[in-house]
Amino acid sequence: MKNLPFHRRKDVRLALRYLVACLLVVIFVFPVYWLFIISFKTPDEIFAFPPVWYPKSIQFSNYFVLFKDGDAKTVLNSLILATVSTFFAMILGTIAAYSLVRFKTGGENLAVWIISQRMMPPVAIVFPVFLLYVYFGWVDTFFGLILLYTAFNLPYVIWMMRGYIEDIPLELEESALVDGCSRWAVLWKVVMPMARSGLFATAVFTFVFAWNEFLFALVLTRTEVATYTVQVTHYFGGQSNFWAKIAAMSVLGTIPVFIAVATMQRYLVRGISMGAVKG
Amino acid sequence: MTVAAATALRANPDRNFRYWLLTPAIFLLLLVGLFPLFYSLIVSFMRIDMMDTDTSFAGLYNYANLFSDKRLWAALGHTLLITVIALPIELVLGLAMAYLFLEKMPGRQIFISLLILPTIISPIVAGATWRLLFDNRYGPINQVLGWFAGHPVTALWTINPQLVYPAIIFCEIWQWTPFMFLILLAALSNVDRSQTEAAAIDGAGFLRTFRRIVLPAIWPVMAIAILIRGLDLARIFDIIWALTAGGPGTMTETISVYTYSQGFKQFETSYTAAIAFLVIVILTVVVVWAIRRMGLAK
Amino acid sequence: MSDLKITGLHKYYGSFHAVKGIDLEVPSGEFTVLVGPSGCGKSTLLRTIAGLEEASEGTVEIGNKDVTWARPGDRDIAMVFQNYALYPYMNVFENIAFGLRARKFPSAEIDKRVANAAEMLGIGPLLKRLPRELSGGQRQRVAIGRAIVRDARLFLFDEPLSNLDAQLRDDMRVEIKRLHQELGRTMIYVTHDQIEAMTLADRIVLLRDGRIEQLGSPLDLFERPANLFVASFLGSPKMNFIPATLSGNIATLSDGTKLLLAGKREGKAKQAVILGIRPQHIALSGKRVATGHAQVKVTVELVQPTGSRVQVAFPLGGKSIVAELESRGVSKPGEKISIDIDMARAIAIDPQTEKVI
Repeated sequence: MKNLPFHRRKDVRLALRYLVACLLVVIFVFPVYWLFIISFKTPDEIFAFPPVWYPKSIQFSNYFVLFKDGDAKTVLNSLILATVSTFFAMILGTIAAYSLVRFKTGGENLAVWIISQRMMPPVAIVFPVFLLYVYFGWVDTFFGLILLYTAFNLPYVIWMMRGYIEDIPLELEESALVDGCSRWAVLWKVVMPMARSGLFATAVFTFVFAWNEFLFALVLTRTEVATYTVQVTHYFGGQSNFWAKIAAMSVLGTIPVFIAVATMQRYLVRGISMGAVKG
Repeated sequence: MTVAAATALRANPDRNFRYWLLTPAIFLLLLVGLFPLFYSLIVSFMRIDMMDTDTSFAGLYNYANLFSDKRLWAALGHTLLITVIALPIELVLGLAMAYLFLEKMPGRQIFISLLILPTIISPIVAGATWRLLFDNRYGPINQVLGWFAGHPVTALWTINPQLVYPAIIFCEIWQWTPFMFLILLAALSNVDRSQTEAAAIDGAGFLRTFRRIVLPAIWPVMAIAILIRGLDLARIFDIIWALTAGGPGTMTETISVYTYSQGFKQFETSYTAAIAFLVIVILTVVVVWAIRRMGLAK
Repeated sequence: MSDLKITGLHKYYGSFHAVKGIDLEVPSGEFTVLVGPSGCGKSTLLRTIAGLEEASEGTVEIGNKDVTWARPGDRDIAMVFQNYALYPYMNVFENIAFGLRARKFPSAEIDKRVANAAEMLGIGPLLKRLPRELSGGQRQRVAIGRAIVRDARLFLFDEPLSNLDAQLRDDMRVEIKRLHQELGRTMIYVTHDQIEAMTLADRIVLLRDGRIEQLGSPLDLFERPANLFVASFLGSPKMNFIPATLSGNIATLSDGTKLLLAGKREGKAKQAVILGIRPQHIALSGKRVATGHAQVKVTVELVQPTGSRVQVAFPLGGKSIVAELESRGVSKPGEKISIDIDMARAIAIDPQTEKVI
């Protein structure tokens, strides 16, 4: 390669990069592909030896079963829980972050305490939360899980939104105050629109966290609000008979996050880098 | 004008606004964060279990038991094992991938979008997926290994004691390397190019440039990524649950899985609370140490 | 009638004392400029008037109403900020209309007022654009438009021109002056630029370290500074200060030059003073010496032409003195010239108290 002229060397380099990139995509995407095609396979294809790499025809029967048995309702539960808790976490977290940034409420200590809540291992509090929920009768209710997911995501939202709010020029808010806006109006009319991309980026993550959550859902749901992650584990057993259901349920639960992430990609990548860079 | 009215005038009408903003968030954090913790603390000094609802204080009884609990220390060991193997691999692999996609190339964004798919799916689904992939007879992994070996391979990935850790770590790396990759790619893109170019002109090789210029520049971001991933690994639950459920036996039981089973299978209420506190103490010490060590403290 | 009255105003930030007891009354329709070096408290004072900062002590009255604890929006003020403070996600029309919408004006009234303001500022064709599509000068016009559309009792300007380049700054200065004449509103303007202060103000409030150093018309402050600080802050090039000994009306410089000060002076037999002479008050000697003027022979050290005028530096009384002379008959370094100092406009400062005697 050393002997090649400069522009040829560049071509070879680019070709090598593509080769490695394609290899990586195969490694990282193949499991997802496998999950998807199993969900479209007939039982004969699933339990064929050697494995069938791609199904002869796309079968939706595995999905029909989930809908017929009502198992698919768990995806709807997840959707309600994730959406509503994201909404509340975003609102409450953003106004709290605004207070921390603009008025230095509680100083650095309060901010550190809030982020330290995020480091708490869920398993350390899940048991007392369970007892609390039993006491109040919140187990297996939307209210209970929404409350929990909202609280669970708050530290993250506050931490991220702090960074975005710090970037809003103070003059914009002051100008609105002079123009006759109330403090609340400044929040809705200036701060929220100015932090829009930050709100979207943070909301995607908050949604994905709540959507993918398992431990709390496992402990605090029974039948009424069981999430799809809990439902997937119901198919685990000694027998491999439920493969089709595992795959189909997983796909049903994965498609909404794929859609959410794909539509928000622009904000997402910026969100990750911003959050990390700002710490 | 009355005295009361006069004093009311002498204050900022918006002085409580800042507290109104924080109140709901703090209330929620106290309710499902601090309160359970406080409750646990009290319970951990009692002797409540499935048989007994004795709420008298038992002093350090539960904490004393922690030391002789072999399963607990084994679980901590498993957690540590997974963390110390998976974390460096995710870091190095993520960094290499970030370098690969650092320079512009056509279709770069599509590659990146595809590569981050594993990170956004649920760990439970990831575990389930790899369960399907690892199946000894119908899974594609043994099949591919068979091509290379020249004879059928029937490795029992999620059962064989020698293979079960590699299986977990594979799955973990597959799911979270893209996360490292994305963060490090952002960090690398922010490195001042004039500095690396100046180093190149000065004749510094890749390693030297990386150690002297790139690493110091990306370190703050990298340290936070390590911290986040380290914490996630320390409380790993979902992937284990989906892949091996802690088995075979208790061979892959991590501290989270063990705590869960003590609480929700054995109903050792007080003892579970004591374990939870041990975990919190260990994590706090490690995190504080790590933050100091990595120079993240302000 | 006064539109603004400040009494005994103090502002502390923790232990830092930013504003140290300000009393100020601004008559209706007057253009007042708050000027001073950075950190003098002028911006803090303006922000306290606006209600963006809380007063630690003292009261603020706007239109004879105590507003010390009123919200900014309840003070009947409009404000123009240094960085324009335009909302990037709203077009020019919406930016200008923002304050009216916040106050729930009917939309027909909003349209009328925005159109009026836009015409006044020559930004009519820009109404549909977003702020990022505007130049710096246009943005500043929009920011001003947003203030004047409100038709408030008091207009506040916080260094509005400091982000513009020199040419634009001159244009906008003229614009603001014209607006003041057309609107006839009370305006308070903060700047650190003494030229802006001199050209715009009906009255200058010169601040230092949170206190008012002197207050008066620009000419007042220029011709009759109260102390060394005021004398040195205003005027460009800066006033010359020469140590001298004063006895009666005669000031003797360290090199023996004697200068006769105008007016009757009572005083101790001999007194150390600092003599203040503006570069503009020095000229090339004519045929004869006018009363109250002094003539001195000096050797030119440095020549800096500025176009219409020329700045000449020469040593006098142990100091390097700058004079602003007419361009014709420009001298060269080393040349000996005779200069004429207008001693009637010179000042003498007590070096201890730094007050003008």
